[in-house]
Amino acid sequence: MERFVDEALVLSTVDYGESDRLVTLLTREHGKLTAFAAGARKSKRRFAGALEPYMRLRVQLVETRGSTVRLDSADIVAGYYGAREDLALIARALYAVELCRELTRDHEPHLELFELLEAYLGKLDAKEAGPTSLLAFELSALAQAGLMPRFDSCSLCGGPPGERPRFDQAHGGAVCEPCGFRARDAVAVPAELLSGLRALQEGQRTPLPAELRARARGVLNVFISHHLGRRLKSVDFMAQVGLD
Amino acid sequence: MTPDPLNRLVAQLAKLPGIGEKTAQRLAFHILRAPGEYAQELSQAIREVKEKVHLCARCFSLTDSELCGFCRDNRRDERTLCVVETFADLMALERTREFKGRYHVLHGVLSPLDGVGPEQLRIKELLTRLGDGHVEEIILATNPDVEGEATALYLTRLLKPMGIRVSRIAQGLPMGGDLEYADQATLAKALSARREL
Repeated sequence: MERFVDEALVLSTVDYGESDRLVTLLTREHGKLTAFAAGARKSKRRFAGALEPYMRLRVQLVETRGSTVRLDSADIVAGYYGAREDLALIARALYAVELCRELTRDHEPHLELFELLEAYLGKLDAKEAGPTSLLAFELSALAQAGLMPRFDSCSLCGGPPGERPRFDQAHGGAVCEPCGFRARDAVAVPAELLSGLRALQEGQRTPLPAELRARARGVLNVFISHHLGRRLKSVDFMAQVGLD
Repeated sequence: MTPDPLNRLVAQLAKLPGIGEKTAQRLAFHILRAPGEYAQELSQAIREVKEKVHLCARCFSLTDSELCGFCRDNRRDERTLCVVETFADLMALERTREFKGRYHVLHGVLSPLDGVGPEQLRIKELLTRLGDGHVEEIILATNPDVEGEATALYLTRLLKPMGIRVSRIAQGLPMGGDLEYADQATLAKALSARREL
């Protein structure tokens, strides 16, 4: 059974049995892996403080017969402790790791997504990532996963979205008014919302006003739920505690 | 070929955490060999724990009456309230014999990835409890992990505007510990939370 070393970001953990833990990792070279950490809950030394969401680790893994790998050791490369000092930063970091977990498949390398998440966690740690940054991160992550929503033209006819555009998650983005009758689930959205989201996709980082952010959150929630087949849990948490 | 009642007992014991099939068998044989009163007392204790133990109406720890012993004890300082995740955490703090105030058990922590929000915890009850104005300080003793920190920060956001002093239990090296063998996360926290002498 092959042993290998990789860099990993912890996406989530779940307790297993009496003293073990299953850790979902996004590794730099091997993609998303589910690692079995034997004795992780009992031993205070072996993985102490390392197996928590959004930790960046240097991990030693061993392939097993099944789809999971065995986690032999984990050294903390970055704990992003700065991103634990504020509830909004924690909420954004957890949303980011949950989105990455859901957008990836096991054992499929995703270097760009790894680097994107790593950079975003670094910004959160440095307290340089406001609410708009999460929308920008989501759009980039969706693009990396091949699910980039279209905001610059009508998803059906390719023409300009017009002054009274709609958004349809099933067709992958903006729908112009004349094509609206072909997209029954499409909802009307302000033209400035599409231009704001397009600017974020193009790399501009101008903060969006709160009202537009709320509309953008709604649109992206619907889009992501439609394509993943379920709503992300951390979205509900952010709504419950009044954060974005 | 073993008798059915014995098989049933082994099967039930094996469902307990930390008990495997062999240990369950050993325990079952122990009960079988013990005097009849022991089995009766054991079964009665199990029945009573389910029938009589419930949550304290004020602090939500465990009790067999309306209020728990901590809430009924008039010698305890009602100006200080310690918020913990579970009853087991309360017992751990009580073992220190350092804390003489009262408790509030949340029965969990905020867990965004598991979909646990403030509504699922005893946070509303905590705020109601503070309405009488007796509490001057709240000690947040949730675990030093991401979820525990999120819960402490959320509670701080709710409690600070009420004019209550909010403190967080310290994090860092254990007493009698050895720096050389401390894990990275704990040592990093101990450094960042250092205090001036």
